[in-house]
Amino acid sequence: MAESPNGMNRRRFLTVLGVTGGGTAALTGCSSDEVEKLIPYLVPPDNQIPGIATWYASTCRECPAGCGLHVRVREGRAVKVEGNPNHPVNAGRLCARGQASLQGLYNPDRVRGPLQRTADGSFEPIAWDDAIARITDTLGPGDPNIRFVTGYESGTFDRLVDGWLAAFGSTGRLVVEPLAHEAVRHASRAVLGIDAVPQYDLAASRYILSFGVDFLETWGSPVHQARAFAAAHGLHDGHMGRYVHVEPRMSLTGMSADEWVAPVPGSEAQLALAMAHVVLRDGLGTPPADAGRFSRLLERADPASAAERTGLSVETVERLAREFTTAPSVALAGGLGAQHDAAHATASAVAILNYVAGNVGRTVLFDDESPRPASAYEDVVRLTEAMRSGEIGALFVHGANPVHTTPGTLGFADAMASVPLKVSFARFLDETAAACDLVLPDHDPLEQWNDYVPRSGTHALQQPVMRPVFDTRQTGDVLLQVAARAGGAAASAFEVADYKAYLEAAWRELQRRLGDRRPFEQFWMDALQAGGVYRDPAVRAVSLPAELVTDDLADSWTVAGEGLALIAYPSPALYDGRGANRPWLQELPDPVTKVTWSSWVELHPETATEHGIAEGDVVELHSAYGSIRVPAYLYPGVRPGTLAVPMGQGHTGFGRYAEGRGANVLALLSPQPTAFGAIGTYVSVTLRVTGEHVFLPKTEGKPRQMDRGIAQAVTLAELEHGGHDDHHALHAAPVPEHIEEILDHWQEQQDDATRYGNYEGEHPRWAMAIDLSRCTGCSACVAACYAENNIPTVGAEQVRRGREMSWMRIERYFEGGEHGEPLETRVLPMLCQHCSSAPCEPVCPVFAAYHTPDGLNGQIYNRCVGTRYCSNNCPYKVRYFNYFDYQHPADPSFAWPDPLHWLLNPDVTVRAKGVMEKCTFCVQRIREAQHTATLEGRERVADGEIRTACQQTCPSEAIVFGDLNDPGSRVSRAAADGRGYHVLEGLNTRPAVTYLKKVRNLAEA
Amino acid sequence: MSAQPSGILASFRFVDAAADAVRRLKDEGYRDFTVYTPVPNVEIARAVGHRASPVRLWTLIGGLTGCASGFALTLWMSYDWPIIVGGKPIGSVIPYVVIAFELTILFGASATILGLLYHSWKTRQAGAYDNRFADDHIGIFVPCPPERREPVQALLQDAGAEEVQFAA
Amino acid sequence: MATIVRQDQITRPTYHEITRDIAATLGSPSRTYYVLLGIVVAVFAVGVGALLYQVRFGLGVAGYTPPVMWGVYITTFVFWVGIAHSGTLISAILYLFRSAWRTAVYRTAEAMTVFAVMTAGLFPVIHVGRLWYAYWLFPYPNQRQLWVNFKSPLLWDVFAVSTYFTVSTLFLIVGLVPDIAALRSTATGWRKKLYEITSLGWRGTDQQWRHYTRAYLYLAALATPLVLSVHSVVSWDFAMSIVPGWHATIFAPYFVAGAIYSGVAMVVTLLVPLRKVFKVERYITVEHFENLSKLLLLTGMIVAYAYAVEYFIAWYSGNPFEQQSFWNRAFGDYWWATWTMILCNGALPLFLFFRKVRRSIPALFVLSLFVNLGMWFERFVIIVVSLSHEYEPYAFGHYTPTWVEWSILAGSFGWFFMWFLLFAKNFPTVSITEVKEIIPLPRKERART
Repeated sequence: MAESPNGMNRRRFLTVLGVTGGGTAALTGCSSDEVEKLIPYLVPPDNQIPGIATWYASTCRECPAGCGLHVRVREGRAVKVEGNPNHPVNAGRLCARGQASLQGLYNPDRVRGPLQRTADGSFEPIAWDDAIARITDTLGPGDPNIRFVTGYESGTFDRLVDGWLAAFGSTGRLVVEPLAHEAVRHASRAVLGIDAVPQYDLAASRYILSFGVDFLETWGSPVHQARAFAAAHGLHDGHMGRYVHVEPRMSLTGMSADEWVAPVPGSEAQLALAMAHVVLRDGLGTPPADAGRFSRLLERADPASAAERTGLSVETVERLAREFTTAPSVALAGGLGAQHDAAHATASAVAILNYVAGNVGRTVLFDDESPRPASAYEDVVRLTEAMRSGEIGALFVHGANPVHTTPGTLGFADAMASVPLKVSFARFLDETAAACDLVLPDHDPLEQWNDYVPRSGTHALQQPVMRPVFDTRQTGDVLLQVAARAGGAAASAFEVADYKAYLEAAWRELQRRLGDRRPFEQFWMDALQAGGVYRDPAVRAVSLPAELVTDDLADSWTVAGEGLALIAYPSPALYDGRGANRPWLQELPDPVTKVTWSSWVELHPETATEHGIAEGDVVELHSAYGSIRVPAYLYPGVRPGTLAVPMGQGHTGFGRYAEGRGANVLALLSPQPTAFGAIGTYVSVTLRVTGEHVFLPKTEGKPRQMDRGIAQAVTLAELEHGGHDDHHALHAAPVPEHIEEILDHWQEQQDDATRYGNYEGEHPRWAMAIDLSRCTGCSACVAACYAENNIPTVGAEQVRRGREMSWMRIERYFEGGEHGEPLETRVLPMLCQHCSSAPCEPVCPVFAAYHTPDGLNGQIYNRCVGTRYCSNNCPYKVRYFNYFDYQHPADPSFAWPDPLHWLLNPDVTVRAKGVMEKCTFCVQRIREAQHTATLEGRERVADGEIRTACQQTCPSEAIVFGDLNDPGSRVSRAAADGRGYHVLEGLNTRPAVTYLKKVRNLAEA
Repeated sequence: MSAQPSGILASFRFVDAAADAVRRLKDEGYRDFTVYTPVPNVEIARAVGHRASPVRLWTLIGGLTGCASGFALTLWMSYDWPIIVGGKPIGSVIPYVVIAFELTILFGASATILGLLYHSWKTRQAGAYDNRFADDHIGIFVPCPPERREPVQALLQDAGAEEVQFAA
Repeated sequence: MATIVRQDQITRPTYHEITRDIAATLGSPSRTYYVLLGIVVAVFAVGVGALLYQVRFGLGVAGYTPPVMWGVYITTFVFWVGIAHSGTLISAILYLFRSAWRTAVYRTAEAMTVFAVMTAGLFPVIHVGRLWYAYWLFPYPNQRQLWVNFKSPLLWDVFAVSTYFTVSTLFLIVGLVPDIAALRSTATGWRKKLYEITSLGWRGTDQQWRHYTRAYLYLAALATPLVLSVHSVVSWDFAMSIVPGWHATIFAPYFVAGAIYSGVAMVVTLLVPLRKVFKVERYITVEHFENLSKLLLLTGMIVAYAYAVEYFIAWYSGNPFEQQSFWNRAFGDYWWATWTMILCNGALPLFLFFRKVRRSIPALFVLSLFVNLGMWFERFVIIVVSLSHEYEPYAFGHYTPTWVEWSILAGSFGWFFMWFLLFAKNFPTVSITEVKEIIPLPRKERART
């Protein structure tokens, strides 16, 4: 295997798993130099067949959504995570963050064992028992005023923590989720009298109106919502829903919108109210009987005044209201993209709008029992004050990083200093852990026993898929051990050996509640296999409370003085920053700006010219609370006069990939909680041009497609009137009939001449179809491709040189957005097109690029000399060259520092310096399926049996893969669709990838 | 090379004199004499009266061989392990024309050189030589045994040789 | 021919003087010669160092920025191949045209050809990602049981360039043999031995001349189509691909003209100092330079015409990719390269319409340097600028070379001049035999009168 600098790991790994260096040798593919490290299986474990993967079901804990996982384990080592098809939340799909969870497991910067802070502030290793002793000594008997901060937990561990605190006579529990739903909960309380976050049934809606909710990125359960959105907005036998996005910034979610409405920041509530006003005034749709109770409230909210406040036209307001009531609709509110000081007003107004439109109970649902809500930000503020005043005796932090995710001026870290004992269970030395006295690393979610309840009725299990990589210990066990050692009440509170036993006890209880009569073992085994037990949530009936609490509807947020409105939005890839130490996520181009490895501020080109700013100019943003320096990115998708900065960067710790990268936008935000107790993500700033300039490490060349018809779209109207199949000027230039005949004749001759030997044509013709009306540009496929195909990350410097290796990229093009036309964004996943007449093949002097009999465009790495002619001649620019020796541990550019290289897929070669590589249509999966078929004595592989990594993970199921020679296959049918086209068809490359034009459901003029 | 035969070595300054000498030698029935010139000279060549050099035949054969082997090589190698690239026929003759052409030139040129070496070697004649013949003099060497030297000497002197000597 | 008549009227050197004067150029080298040699070897060493660095860490140390996968190396490859062309042109084509003025300059040109090809040949190897496997491009029986892909223009290159190298080397050697024989007598020490061996026992007998003249004629006849083919093949590396700005039928003639253009320029660059240092002004006269500059003017205008045609066709084709590509050349990020090329290759040569300029050696020298620069940029523009904007706007890129590439480029000049200097001191850079040839041997009649 790649010589791991730390020999201990390797030896322990081998002894524990009795696993072959063969697996490890496979990791570095064909590099022959270290083969002498081969160690055969000494005692083969009976559940391990070398070369055959084992799959375990578990749960993704990268964000609170809690998607189900299937973890692929080879030779005792997790090498790929995929969605669990049976799981109600994600139905087999995953987002980019989920794909990258492996890089949390194998992260080289994980805390490799318990640590304690020394006098000089540095950390030194400590034995587990000593660490536990230190805790018990501090806690002792009585109430030392403990506070326990966790991330969002909804299962057994949640109860354990509460119980444990209780056992020590404390109730100081905090659940810190930076992206919580304070505003929506406030609105539900105020308008409907329910303290819960509603479940929006997007799939059932045909008209979606989002008030700054990024439901395809970070808000709620993105994978679930993406699937639902595809159901609502994708084209189904000629019909599709319409989606309008209301936000000053066009987010990734907004990019999928048919119409983008950019009101004056802070005035969204007025729009919602005015729409409700129109609905009631004109008696549109089917409002519930008691909707009238709002009419007095809505009197003042007439479209005219709303138009004036929001900067939109009266027509727009009226039109939106009409559209909203013509189809089953839903309005969403409460995203961070719109969480200003008046977001509660927006949310309430939207709740009212939904109510008067009769959506509540139809597309806006409330589960009968909603899991414990996360604490509001104001609780964190209180905790900070308490710590500062020295009341807190001990602080425990698990799964949260408040130091980084709260505004800098709150001074959480300083406040921690006055707490006698601070214990972190973090897996990485993040900012909060760095401020603690003890760091007792928890297992990675893939190494531990646990459960999770993403939503009512869904009980998901986590099981260890492999032996822990480092000397870590599950926090549940640590807590139990502390309690046991403390003795007395604490000890007697838990009568269990370890956390697994505690968990099983909880599940016995659950089985009783579910009324399952089977023996527990069976129940347990089935649950493990299925990844949990899934029941449909019971929905609770909703009626207006006797008394409407809507006094704060008039609240609004406005920019202070001459300043500009700045929006701090969560990053689709890095979430609130917890993804920042995953190289895949850092190198994943931001779906909107295509920038990697850094922070930036988005300005509208007009605003930029006003201030004389060009892309890459470093600007200094000043708010009343702080200032940051970030390079500028010119984005037509943000309202003029408004700025936007993503969260997630600017770490001062958290490992080599995150540390000192970009700026933390929270430094600009107010430490004061908003009226509804959350962080206000809008703030007024002034900007100063520093005169400094940097080249943004972005993967994009030109943002406009210069009408080359690469990403094509039609409107629904055109589709209905069949007016869309006009061939693009550059696609198939019209030729005279007799020429056409000659060409066809010539083509036939060519084809005949290529029917030879192996190429007789009995083989399948692998092909792909990508439906652009479903693709949202979320980039999950890109991350999946990195994970499946051992693609190295190259770092910011190389990305600046355009040397990113990503076999699959999401091209993002802007249409319009200039001189008054509405801005439209188009996304197009670009991967090797596996052309029948591939221009890259004939130019290779050594046959490294050639055509396989089953229609793949093969690239033989060990034949490649590296002339790079193929890449020059590839019109799609999907070939990637190894400019450095990313696969060699001794090389400075080694992409998988130990133990990161453990996640390499043994079925895929790791490419050496100086060779060309590209998408293979996941040939390893194709062959695996074919072998399986052969073993089962089947002639052909069944349609849909092979799923490429990108297809497998696509949350909106936009990708179809299969055999084009089989007329019945899904891909053949998709390729025959009227919307189908090939990129750059005019070059006669005859690609295997068919794109289905994006469909835009425009408003009737 | 056999031991140097004895003979008369005459050196001329004037080309017409040398040519004249050559003609008279031929009239007298001498055949195996050698003429040295610093540069190729038509007058001398005409006087000596060789037929055109057979080297051109080598060039022709070499060229044709090259052309043939060019096509043979490319086509055979294409079908030896047939691989489709870019949806083109396995043996695409048109691009192979380039290879065939280059080999035509290569073989043609090499054959010409070989021909040159071979023929110059085959028609080599031993005999006395003087470096001035590479500079500005024309030399004629007539091999003959010592006893029959007078007539030749006379002939050459009369033709206007600058100096005539017997080389043993 | 006018040239020759005029030479007659002035002092026509005798055969002996020619031998003496040209042999004199091989006299023991001066200190400046060693200094020069030292400099070029040093520059070459720098190039080697840069190359080793690149081999160790990978091509990433060069400035390649996808989609620009070819850069300075291929540019320089084409540049040197181009330089190589005028040599064969002068020695072969002008030979067939029987233009007598070539005799004085062809040896230099031919030597330059051989060394230029030797330089050019390095670059494809330097350029590839795994140069230790570069030999895989040759069709030889191997354990992979795989032959090469003869459909790839790169393979054509392999054959064209190696053939060209072989043939031009043979040509040079054949031409040298009689001269070396002429030098045998005067030379001393190891040189004498060297010449005795390399003159292959040449005596200039009637038989030898008989075969020699024929062989030389046929070599010239073969070299003529070769010289036209080689740069056509090089141009097809580009023309056979579908890159906008490359895929054009004009490329072969365009490149051949450009090649001869740059080659003649390089001949001038070499001859000007050479005739001064070697004091052979008597043989390489202003007349020769005027003829060379006429050749420059002609080819230069062909090249300029080709530029014009490229832009016209880009516009006329109505092909938006071509149009964008050429717009980008003229007004895009690389406008400076394009305009340098047009100025040096299109505008400056027009001065050659003035006889004064054609006959002013300093002017010609400066001009030739500009042409060399311009022709390097021509290749840079064609290769880099076309690649930077292809079909996928999302994948447009901007390439800037790094110090590694510049060092290797400089090193190639070191390598070239190293060989040339060594050659010039050990073998006659002016052909003794052929210069004599155009001067009739003395005749008795004329001597009497």
